Amino acid sequence: MPFVEFHRVSKSFGKTAAVEELNFTVEQGEFYSLLGPSGCGKTTTLRMLAGFLTPTTGRIKVHGRDITDLPPEARGIGIVFQNYAIFPHMNVYDNIAFGLIERGEKKAEIRRRVGAALEQVGLAGYGSRFERELSGGQKQRVALARVLVVEPEILLLDEPLSALDKKMREEMKFWIKDIQKSVGITTIYVTHDQSEALTMSNRIAVMNEGRMLQVGTPVEIYEKPVSRFIAEFIGDSNFLKGRILSLDGTAGQIDLGGGAVVPARMPSDADVAVGDGIGLLLRPEVLGLKPSDEGETPYLSGEVIDETYQGSLRRYRIRAGIHEVTAEIPNRPELARLEPGDKVELYWNSESGSVVP
Amino acid sequence: MGRKIPLLVLVLAIAGFCYMLFPIVVVVLAGLTAGEFLTFPPQGLSLRWVVAFLQSDKYLSAFFFSFRLALMTMIVATIIGTAAALFLSRTRFVGRAAMRAFFLSPVVLPGVVVGFALFAFYISTGSSISRTIWGLWIGHILYSTPYVIGTVGAALAAFDISLEEAARSLGSSPWRAFRRVTLPNIGHGIQAGSIFAFIVSFGQFEVSLFLSAPNSEPLPIAMYNSLRYQFDPSAAAAGIFAITLVTASVLLTNRLVNIRRLLERQHA
Repeated sequence: MPFVEFHRVSKSFGKTAAVEELNFTVEQGEFYSLLGPSGCGKTTTLRMLAGFLTPTTGRIKVHGRDITDLPPEARGIGIVFQNYAIFPHMNVYDNIAFGLIERGEKKAEIRRRVGAALEQVGLAGYGSRFERELSGGQKQRVALARVLVVEPEILLLDEPLSALDKKMREEMKFWIKDIQKSVGITTIYVTHDQSEALTMSNRIAVMNEGRMLQVGTPVEIYEKPVSRFIAEFIGDSNFLKGRILSLDGTAGQIDLGGGAVVPARMPSDADVAVGDGIGLLLRPEVLGLKPSDEGETPYLSGEVIDETYQGSLRRYRIRAGIHEVTAEIPNRPELARLEPGDKVELYWNSESGSVVP
Repeated sequence: MGRKIPLLVLVLAIAGFCYMLFPIVVVVLAGLTAGEFLTFPPQGLSLRWVVAFLQSDKYLSAFFFSFRLALMTMIVATIIGTAAALFLSRTRFVGRAAMRAFFLSPVVLPGVVVGFALFAFYISTGSSISRTIWGLWIGHILYSTPYVIGTVGAALAAFDISLEEAARSLGSSPWRAFRRVTLPNIGHGIQAGSIFAFIVSFGQFEVSLFLSAPNSEPLPIAMYNSLRYQFDPSAAAAGIFAITLVTASVLLTNRLVNIRRLLERQHA
């Protein structure tokens, strides 16, 4: 039985539909991300699960129990807000003790569990501090401790990293994932940042304009996006317009125009037919600019437009016939740098190019 | 004092302060006069009119009547005003923006309008509360509540609603979340609003003029009535006590709030 279940959930504000006909399930212990641009309905979805919004239509179930009409305090769902929402009039200890007091726990028990929670998030000794005396990362640890100490069934995280600087964000990404794994708590994570979703999630649901476009593992979402929107939202992408020449199961030939015919992987479940106009997705990092002995074949030739030096990478823009392609080459000092106007041939493994309807 | 203030600005600022403080100086000095009549500048200084005020039944009873009225008004205005501010900030309805603008504008209803409207209403309905403290009380509440709505509304606008939501998802009922999280964080707004309500009620004139009864007059009306018949410096002495009371209540509340902040900091 799925742990969290959305059944045909819609929510509109006045005449604007925020989410439409949402159907999805989350398994117990899963780290599930709702990923999409701002205004896609991901936060609305989270707030309906937390109980701050009531769906216009549809039901939400947890553990088979219908919680659609329950108030937030009866749901056993913890939430960490984007701004952490640390109570400014209480110190860290009282913030973390808040939920335990609301549950009527005994004083000694509260002291023990708050102490353990502070330990768990690495803030032992910070109990008497106030919100204004904490850094962004510390606030987040307090917010997480405050939620985890009451042992909720589900943890909701609403863009918890967006208020942090880049370095802290990288650090907290792994820290949150570690904590989630060790507690084993079912987690739903809202973000607009594809790298956070790819790094942390068991599954990702990509949302746009109130709908779920694709649900899958990070690998599926990144390597087999079902639409151009997803391909371009998740990571950098080259999107080459072409036409299907032949089809054989999940293999096929694509005509890219100008005499270029390349093999590509076809989506297994999408309805494409010979003659259809499609897009060929090539991630910049799958492209090679030199012959290699790893089974890669040259498919397109073109010339360099420019090079961007990025330290660990060199990024080339290449004009190949009617297409403009970006390729990222790992930077090694012994590799010759290419100049604008240099003729190059583009290589990739046929498995790396996937067709997107 | 790093930056130099231009001379013209300095002069204007000092002139402005003098202008603002002038009435207070006039009242205080006139109340301390040694002469027989209300004059400014005073003819010598003495406490005789202060003593006269303290011995006058008329002024003392008016002073305590006003005090009682202001206290009663403050209590009700604080409760109604806070509730109204919550309603205006938390609900969505047609005309909400207009209502907010109406209630948050600095002068909501002229006292003359409130006083006249209630007076006409009491008289034409033959209501038994006309010319009682209760009728006056209603008028003062009407007049002072918007000040509470204004300050509490400002505090609520600065209050992050996700704090309350966090409390809810940690297990608080709506009322518990309000009491344990929202109230402590908008407390300064409620406090400021209640001081305003007290001061505004204590100094209220127009509403009281329409609604007060001859035998139970608030201080401003008593001062006005007595000055109409005799030019007696004890009215100015009464003014000194009114200014003292208002200043003391502001300082006291200020001190209370600051002490709490101080404690919090030491606790940290």
